[in-house]
Amino acid sequence: MAESRDVFIVCNNADGVGGLQRWAHHLARLLARRGHRVTLVGVTRASEPHDYEPDGSYAVVTLHEQWRPPALPWRPRSLRQRFDIAAYWRDLWRTRTLRQGAERLSELFAGARPGGVVIAAQVWAMEWVRAADTTGLKVIGMTHESYEATRRSSRYARVKELYADCDRMLALTAEDADAWARDGMTNAGHMPNPLHVAPRRLSTLDAPIVASVGRLATEKGVDLLLEAWARVASRQPGWLLRVYGAGPQEDELRRQAASLPEIATSVEFRGVVADVETALADSSIFVLPSRAEGFPMSVLEAMAYGLPTVAFDCAPGVRALVADGRDGLLVPPGDTAALAAALERLIEDDALRRAMGARARASVARYRPDVVLDRWERLFACLHRGESAVSEPMADETISDRRFGRPWPSSRRSTTAIPAAGAVEDDS
Amino acid sequence: MRTGPHLPAGHVPSGSGPHGDGGAPAPDVTVVVIAYNDARRLPRAVGSALRQSLDGVEVVVVDDGSRDGTGPLAERLADELPGRVRAVRLPVNSGGCGRPRNAGVERARGRYVMFLDSDDVLDRHACLNLLTAAEDTGADLVSGLCARVRVDRGRARESFWYPWLYQRTAVYGSLRDNPDLLYDTLATNKLYRRGFLERSGLRFVEHLHYEDLLFTAEAYLAAARTALIPHRVYNWLVEPSARSISNRRSDLANFADRLEIHRRIDALLSRHGDERLRLVKDAKFVKHDLLLYVRELRHRDAAYRQGFCALAAEYLAGLDPRVFDAAPPMAAIVAYLLREGDHEAALAAAEYRGKRPVLSTELTRCDGRVYWGRRCPSSAEGRRILDVTHLGLHRCRLSELRPLNTVTELVVKNGRVRLSGRVLNPLGRVAPDADVSACLEVYDRRRPRRVFRLPAALTHAGNGLVWEAEFDPQRQIRPLGIVDPVWDVRLVLRVDGEGIVTRPSGLGLGDADPWEHVLLPVRPRFSRLTARSLRPCLTYRGSLAFVLHADGPAWRMAAAMARTRWGRRLRRGIRRMWAAVRRLFRAARRAATSRSTKTAVFNRVLSRLPVRTGTVVFESHLGRRYSGNPKYIHRELRRAEVPVRAVWSYDSSPQGFPEDAVLVRRGSWAYYWELARAQFWIDDQGFPDGLRKRPQTVYLQTWHGSAYKLMGEDQPRVKWAGRSERARLRRMVDRYDYFLVRSRHDVDTLVKGLGVRAELLPVGYPRNDPLVNGDPDAAAEAEALRRSLGLEDGRRVVLYAPTFRPGPDGRPVWYMDPPVEPGRFVRDLGDAMVLLLRPHYLCRMRLPAVAGDGVRDVGHVPDVTPLLLLADALITDHSSIMFDYALLDRPLILHVPDAAALGGGYFDLAEHAPGPVTRTEDELLAALADLDRVDADYAGRRRDFVRRFGEYDRGTAARAVVERFFTTVREGVRDG
Repeated sequence: MAESRDVFIVCNNADGVGGLQRWAHHLARLLARRGHRVTLVGVTRASEPHDYEPDGSYAVVTLHEQWRPPALPWRPRSLRQRFDIAAYWRDLWRTRTLRQGAERLSELFAGARPGGVVIAAQVWAMEWVRAADTTGLKVIGMTHESYEATRRSSRYARVKELYADCDRMLALTAEDADAWARDGMTNAGHMPNPLHVAPRRLSTLDAPIVASVGRLATEKGVDLLLEAWARVASRQPGWLLRVYGAGPQEDELRRQAASLPEIATSVEFRGVVADVETALADSSIFVLPSRAEGFPMSVLEAMAYGLPTVAFDCAPGVRALVADGRDGLLVPPGDTAALAAALERLIEDDALRRAMGARARASVARYRPDVVLDRWERLFACLHRGESAVSEPMADETISDRRFGRPWPSSRRSTTAIPAAGAVEDDS
Repeated sequence: MRTGPHLPAGHVPSGSGPHGDGGAPAPDVTVVVIAYNDARRLPRAVGSALRQSLDGVEVVVVDDGSRDGTGPLAERLADELPGRVRAVRLPVNSGGCGRPRNAGVERARGRYVMFLDSDDVLDRHACLNLLTAAEDTGADLVSGLCARVRVDRGRARESFWYPWLYQRTAVYGSLRDNPDLLYDTLATNKLYRRGFLERSGLRFVEHLHYEDLLFTAEAYLAAARTALIPHRVYNWLVEPSARSISNRRSDLANFADRLEIHRRIDALLSRHGDERLRLVKDAKFVKHDLLLYVRELRHRDAAYRQGFCALAAEYLAGLDPRVFDAAPPMAAIVAYLLREGDHEAALAAAEYRGKRPVLSTELTRCDGRVYWGRRCPSSAEGRRILDVTHLGLHRCRLSELRPLNTVTELVVKNGRVRLSGRVLNPLGRVAPDADVSACLEVYDRRRPRRVFRLPAALTHAGNGLVWEAEFDPQRQIRPLGIVDPVWDVRLVLRVDGEGIVTRPSGLGLGDADPWEHVLLPVRPRFSRLTARSLRPCLTYRGSLAFVLHADGPAWRMAAAMARTRWGRRLRRGIRRMWAAVRRLFRAARRAATSRSTKTAVFNRVLSRLPVRTGTVVFESHLGRRYSGNPKYIHRELRRAEVPVRAVWSYDSSPQGFPEDAVLVRRGSWAYYWELARAQFWIDDQGFPDGLRKRPQTVYLQTWHGSAYKLMGEDQPRVKWAGRSERARLRRMVDRYDYFLVRSRHDVDTLVKGLGVRAELLPVGYPRNDPLVNGDPDAAAEAEALRRSLGLEDGRRVVLYAPTFRPGPDGRPVWYMDPPVEPGRFVRDLGDAMVLLLRPHYLCRMRLPAVAGDGVRDVGHVPDVTPLLLLADALITDHSSIMFDYALLDRPLILHVPDAAALGGGYFDLAEHAPGPVTRTEDELLAALADLDRVDADYAGRRRDFVRRFGEYDRGTAARAVVERFFTTVREGVRDG
């Protein structure tokens, strides 16, 4: 049994609706069950809070009841923006408020026993962790999306800046970690999300139903699924497509389904369901038509229920979960004809469906909570070698001593940030 | 406390406690740091090992008998940090890295071991990354990326050590799984399981340099599993001033050591009995180790050269000759010639590299092939290796040639300078009767536009060209003085209007400074107070340059002032200010001419100007060619004598575009100006995105072919891209006012896929009119083309015109290959047929020089329609050209070697094919041999094909378009 540690999980918010929050509460519960003292920190509150029913085994803390300053720091690009006095004041206000939140965080951290760990689950939350005093703690930054997705968004620059000197940066898959390493983030490693369902009832794979679960938004690609389904439905009468979830694109998708006569009767929009078990156990095939994904938990769930998956090969997370031809079928991104063909293949071939379903169920054992937790604890142990780790004073004194030269060629981080613990700074 | 050697007492764990030397648990990783006379940098290296994100790394410092206090420093560190650092002192210096590393391994306690040199630095996360990989994969040996960091003058420049090996995490069962591992011969960027080192008795060899090479080879072979991670783990810091052991190549013993190590590796690999590994290692020797030395040979003395060549020849003679095929061609040539004893040509091959390589040897032509070196190789092996026909030096443009130019004489007499030299004339490319002239140009290195041109005399002499310039430097070279210290020299030869630019080289004149006492008198414009003469010297690459001899009193004073503290500051300040000003100007120019600026000006300003009635802007294939539907509409306009003002857009060169039209470069201001004021836009692909077409302008989109491949929103790529990409397509397509179609198939596929909402004109394609109506002008054009290509000998003409092949990134692959091996085509069918190769306009055809005139590249012909007219048969794949050619009712073969490359199309190609579908070279040749039968067998299907896909092509498309839009122009009434 590993020693008990103080673990802080810091998210943008701990009570919003979303995969990340579900993951955070799940991880907190699992760590607490192993005897760690866990504090789940939300930087602010969600606008529409959701009750994750914390069981009291871990603490939940919110730093700011309400976050009113601008979300991101002010980065003037042009000369004109530089003279924007209002933006300057807003940024000042933001910095001050952030510092108050960080002080709150520092107080929490100060109460930690030696060997504690801070896990910043999101880039925005990392700003607070960096501003807080993390002396004696190790800082782990996480990115919960694929490298490519980050690369395309504004988060990329912030990840590069904010995660450069944390003790470990964790991506979701080995492939993403490699991509970050190639990009110069030498602290990149990977940590999968633990499986968070324990099926009581498995799918029999008999019902003529294909299920899709996800928010109804463009990046989830349900429009592509409907297009593919139009090809399938005309040739496979009797099969139903059930689309679970709600979202901004819902009306548009309903219109699209209604406009295609061949699928109007074979598509059901089921909305958000509380009981995932019934939804998945009643289906025979799971389909993930997403345009972008990190580590799709819905696929993990479906595999746990013994469903074979058909998906676009859109992200390393999908490839890590589904081995093409083994426990599901992957098709080239955007190729709806291929998606339809893959669905039909599984619909027509009962034996293949069953074989893939069984293999899928076996394959998710890699993500059983105890396996993932072992990995977490091994990482903690590497960063803090128990009591013998008297290296902190060294970090402060000896290493920053000039005799050890500059840390080479560590990132040129801005000098304004308060250094995180463990991230050893030199004095230049 | 900060600079003192001791830590605060409270922070030091007591030596006798559980953390002391004896009782502490074994660390995960021990880093062995070796040092010799390097007290300056040792703390940096040790610090990088102690500062690891992996907690509790142990450091063993081994001092290799230093004399500068490295040993005491190591011991002090060990005293300060007991349990973390231990020091070992070797009594005598061993002269290499082997013994200290071995000593370190003996003392290591960690489960894993790493090596670090005192002048290098570990990445902060190196140990954790390597350890995690070792534990995840169970590997004995884990290797990470090594960065070579050049640290000179404060700026660090990085390059990576064989980065292609380190693209992703990989695990190999044995070296056979990836023999390329042998390229990474560093011992330092790796983590070794200590048990593995002990079990297999791995130690470094002592008393030889390059012990790394042997050690890593042994380790790769012994490891049950090897893992690679893409993380940078090791920073190999290179300070140009300080020479480390492995950098002293000027000593011949150094090369002998390297050969000895290679011999031992050879023996090791032979013991393992793996020929393939041996070959990979030998290829690596030829391509890496050998070239490293040969490229420096020019700077070595004669004795060294002799010795080196003898050593190398001896070693190379013992290698398996297959190594010459395994190594890259130029490296193989170097090795082969060294073995054969032709040192000059070997040196030339080693130096033939970079973007514009200099050719410094003669070439030989025998039996239609071109060989490296002045002699035609006698053996078959030599002919295979020395064959450089693929470089195309026998037929490239003269201006692409860079022959060696050697200075033979530089003398100053009575104030006049005589400078002469000799330029190679490889393969006699400059013919004896060619019209040649030469000009010597002396230009300011900082401002290359400041040139002084000096005429030179040029004569043919033997197999080279001899040039000589005589000038008065005081009158003909006028530097400013002080601000232009370096003047480079180049010789420009003009041969029949083409220019060959060479830099006179001073190498090969001998080892000492060849022009030690030569000074060219000059009169700088800032007066002779600044300088009185130019001194000739050699640049780093061996070219001749002149340096202002700093001997004027003003210069000396300025130099002295610049050396003072304030002078330095002033200089730096001026330089910075100047750089800032230049940056500002450049940014301003970029902003003023950027596409976004032009687009904005177009939309806000230009499109408010009045429309110029009768102006038509034509564009074909994004301006790349004068061809396609727009060309034939323009021709019809001309023929019908419609008084329009035709404007053609061209992409890079206006060559081949009609002279009676206004020509504007695509993307220039003139282009936007004309587009904004035009009454008609006519093109076949698309005008730039972002331009808002005003309603008064009529946009006729003619498109460039019927569709087999999925188009527009039907493409998976576009579906995938999400809203922005689709919105872009939407914006482009919604500008169309009219859209030409050639069949109902177009309406069902192309129009739907692109989402065209414009009015459809079912008139067929203007470019196909000549294929149907036997238009005399086009026939004449085709006949002219036949004459210019020399195709009048009665052989049948077969045209190969495939579409592009998308690469992994979705963009076209640049090179295409002929459908059959050209030699084979000429042998089998050369008497009866000529094969013309027509690459897609985004690609180039890769045609070997041996093909002769039986197989020819016609990629340069702008318009494909005349080619179709003169072709007796067509070979294509799923390109849209089949829809056009089928109209001619001549035989057509679909050659699709890779059926998977077809992907999904709009219809089943095999079912509707207008000709046989072939998969292999043999099938294609068989079909070609029996062309008449193909013609007869498929006549019916061809007609069905035309009925289905070309129903509106009746030969009247251009006339229909002109009548529809331009008869009103003739009447002077504004349309639209």
